Amino acid sequence: MSPKWVRFYALTNREVSRFVKIKGQTIGAPLLETFLYISIFGAALGSRVGELDGVKYVVYVIPGLILMAWAINAFTNNASSILQQKFQRSIDDQLSSPAGPMQLLMALTLGGFLRGMTISVLTFLAASLLVDLPVDHAWAAVISLMLVGFFFAQLGVLIGVRAEQFDDVSFAQTFVLQPLIFLGGVFYSASLLPEPYQTLTHFNPVYYMTSLVRYGFLGQADVNVPLSFLALAAATLALFLANYRIFKTGYKLRA
Amino acid sequence: MQLSSETSSPPLNIATPRAGHDIALKAINVSKRYPTGVEALKNVSLEIGEGDFFGLLGPNGAGKSTLIHCSTGLARPTGGEIEIFGSDAVDHYEAAREAVGLAPQDINLDWFLTVAETLDFHGGYFGMRKKERKERVDELLEAFSLTDKRHERTRTLSGGMKRRVVLARALMHRPRLLILDEPTAGVDVELRLELWQYVQQVNTEGTTILLTTHYLEEAEQLCNKIAFINGGEIVAEGTSGQLASKFGVSSLEDAYLALVGRKELSRAHVGEDSP
Repeated sequence: MSPKWVRFYALTNREVSRFVKIKGQTIGAPLLETFLYISIFGAALGSRVGELDGVKYVVYVIPGLILMAWAINAFTNNASSILQQKFQRSIDDQLSSPAGPMQLLMALTLGGFLRGMTISVLTFLAASLLVDLPVDHAWAAVISLMLVGFFFAQLGVLIGVRAEQFDDVSFAQTFVLQPLIFLGGVFYSASLLPEPYQTLTHFNPVYYMTSLVRYGFLGQADVNVPLSFLALAAATLALFLANYRIFKTGYKLRA
Repeated sequence: MQLSSETSSPPLNIATPRAGHDIALKAINVSKRYPTGVEALKNVSLEIGEGDFFGLLGPNGAGKSTLIHCSTGLARPTGGEIEIFGSDAVDHYEAAREAVGLAPQDINLDWFLTVAETLDFHGGYFGMRKKERKERVDELLEAFSLTDKRHERTRTLSGGMKRRVVLARALMHRPRLLILDEPTAGVDVELRLELWQYVQQVNTEGTTILLTTHYLEEAEQLCNKIAFINGGEIVAEGTSGQLASKFGVSSLEDAYLALVGRKELSRAHVGEDSP
C-alpha cells in the first residue's frame, strides 16, 4: 500500500473507530429507534391502516425507515465528529499532516457514511426476517441509498465545519433535517395529502429520495425515476464540490 | 526516567539528512493578516539551519505561534513563502509536512483514542506502515515512560502525561524538523528537566528543533541560535551572547526586557535604590 493509501486508511479508520468505541450510542440507540418506528407504525398502527399503494403498511414504511436511518446517522456522525475535533483541536493533527484536502474530506465523509450504512443494513436484515420485504429493483435500492448516504454524510461535514457550537448541529438536525425527512413521505404517500400540502411536498428533496428508495424495494414510484436519480446525483456532486472547496481553502478549519 | 543524556535506550529519532539542503526552515517575507484585521506577521524572513536548536522568543501575541501555524498548515499566510528542507510548505506541502513534527502549545489530544492509538493513527497520517508503526509506538512509549498507560484513553491522563504523549506523537514519524511551541508551559520542574533531556538527545541525533518558550533560561541552555520576534517582526537574531551585545546588556533576559521596553525590571537593578 502506498503512503497515500496508508494515510487515507488511517484517517478513515479514525472516524470508524470513533463510532465503534461508542457503539451503544452510535449504533445501538439508532437501531432501537428504527425498530420502535417499525413496531409502532407496523404492528400498532399498521393493522388499522391496512394497505397503502397495494402493499401492507409496515412493508410500505420500511424502505423509508432504512433511508432515514442512513441519512440521519450519516449526518449526525460527521457533524458531531468534526465539531468535537475542532473543540479539542485534535483535528490539527490531521490538518498538519501531509494529507491533501480530498483525502481529509473523503475520510471524514466515510465515517458517517459507513455508520449509516451499518444501521441501514442491520435494519434491512432484521426487517427481512420479520416481514416479507420485496426488493424489486435491487440496483435502484442500492444506488439510491448510497447516493442518499453520501449526500447526508457530505451535509454533516458541511455543518460540522461551519458549526461553532453544538447548538448549531442540533438546530440543523431538529429544525431542518428531521422535518424534511418526516414530511418527505417516509410514513405516508404524498398522494394522500390534501392540497396545498401535496404540491408543497414536491419541493422537498427528501420526497424524491424516499420515492427512489421505495421504487428499489417495492417497484413503485410517485416520481420520474431517471430524472430523480439525475437530480440526486447532481445535488450530491454539487455538495461534494462545495465541501472540496472548503477543505482546499481551509475555511473554518485553518486560521 | 528512560531518557537521560547517558541513557542506553535506542535513538528517539532517526532523521536521515538529505544531501543538497542545509536550510531546515526558510521563511521569506511571510505575512499573516487574520480576518479580524490583526496583522500577526509582517514580512517575516527567517532561516533555520539543519541541525540547529533554534529559539524563537517574544511576548504573548508577538507572532510566534502564528509563524509556526503558517509553517505547519494550521494557518495560511497571506503573503510570502515558507520552505521546509527546500520544499514548499504552503501550497504543495506534502514533502514539507512529512519532514515536520509539531508539539503544539495547547494539549490537543483526541479524547476517543488511547495513548497507543494516538501515536499509531498519527503514524498512519504520515504514511507509516503498520509494522513500522507498531515498532515505533513501542519504542516511544518505552522512551517516554508511557508503556503502562498505552491502553488508557488520553483524557484520563494527568497534565504531565498528556504533555509526554504530545511530544511522543510529534516524534512518531521521525521528523527532520521538530517544532515545540512552549512545550514546558505549566509543567512541573521535574518534567521540564526531563523534556529538556529528551529534546537535547533528539537534537544530538540530527533533528533540527524550533522552540518557542517564555523561559529564557530554557532558551539560553538549549538553543544555539535565538531570534526575537515582536509585533509580528523579527527584531534581532543571533546567539544568546550576540543578542545581549546587540542590546548593550549582559544577559539574554536583559536583552529581552530591552526588547519589550521593560528594562526597569532587570535583576541587575535589584537593590539599587534600597537604603
